[in-house]
Amino acid sequence: MGEYQLRIGPAGNSRATILFVPPLFEEANRTRRTLVLAIRALAAKGFAALLPDLPGQNESPVPLVEADLTRWRAALAEVAHGIDGPLIVASLRGGALIDHEAEAAAWWRLAPASGASLLRTLLRARVSADREAGIASSLDSLQAEAASAPLLLAGNLLSPTMIAELAAAEAQPVEPLRSVALGAEGIAGTPLWLRAEPGEDTGMAQAIAADIAAWSRSCGII
Amino acid sequence: MGAGTQGFCALGARARLKDMLVTDTPATAVDATLRALLADVLGLGEARAAALTADSGLFGELPEFDSMAVATVLTEMEDRLGILIDDDEVDGEIFETYGNLLAFSVRKVAG
Repeated sequence: MGEYQLRIGPAGNSRATILFVPPLFEEANRTRRTLVLAIRALAAKGFAALLPDLPGQNESPVPLVEADLTRWRAALAEVAHGIDGPLIVASLRGGALIDHEAEAAAWWRLAPASGASLLRTLLRARVSADREAGIASSLDSLQAEAASAPLLLAGNLLSPTMIAELAAAEAQPVEPLRSVALGAEGIAGTPLWLRAEPGEDTGMAQAIAADIAAWSRSCGII
Repeated sequence: MGAGTQGFCALGARARLKDMLVTDTPATAVDATLRALLADVLGLGEARAAALTADSGLFGELPEFDSMAVATVLTEMEDRLGILIDDDEVDGEIFETYGNLLAFSVRKVAG
């Protein structure tokens, strides 16, 4: 599909492949560094891990306005299809909205977010920026506008289909699934995806790798 | 590290405001939730978040607090406090100081 993929694996044979589905839009940039640290930690445990670009995201040649959730789901299914051996799909935040069409032995989700809440934040950033520029807009007026034309939200030009799909998207049931949140009972770390300025969390990267490795074992994948 | 071997579909849980209300007064619980949220979004660190007073300036004062951060804070307030915030309730004033944001949140949680 001509998209860039970051792949790091052990020197010899890998135990299994972890396909990471990044968070969407700006949240992907805020978490990328820590995700790659987790990928390196997984490689040290003998797993191969893959972080593909979604069409329209990161270094993709596709304009974002041509992307939507349906296309992202299909792109991930295609990436999964090309992987030999046991596969675990690991998604973060909005990545959980597009991970269910990939064929996998197991799924892992960290802090899954609803499409409506991601969209609300993007619309609000636009309302807030509009207000600073002296333009009156609202969540309702923007959503009405988005029914017929692409909308520029916090630097992302999104198609009417993308906006309609986001408004309705929820993480879909998959099995077997381990869904974890941040905190004492899940992954110890900070919600870097919310952070106004880029950061990294080495401890969280280690915790993500350890949790995925344990989940893989408990699913009998090794 | 990690959570060890888990059964299927083990769900992590963040302490929700509803659980905290059992032991705390609502204003204290809202205050704690709000400080944690600002620490998460603005990367303040626990010490800076704990040092916020009613007069501490937010939007326009903290360089991290841009329009994207305002949007993120509003959506997280809705999620963590279990409230809904309308456009017309959001004016410059509620983000002027920490005290204003706390008063607004306590009012919303009280319904």
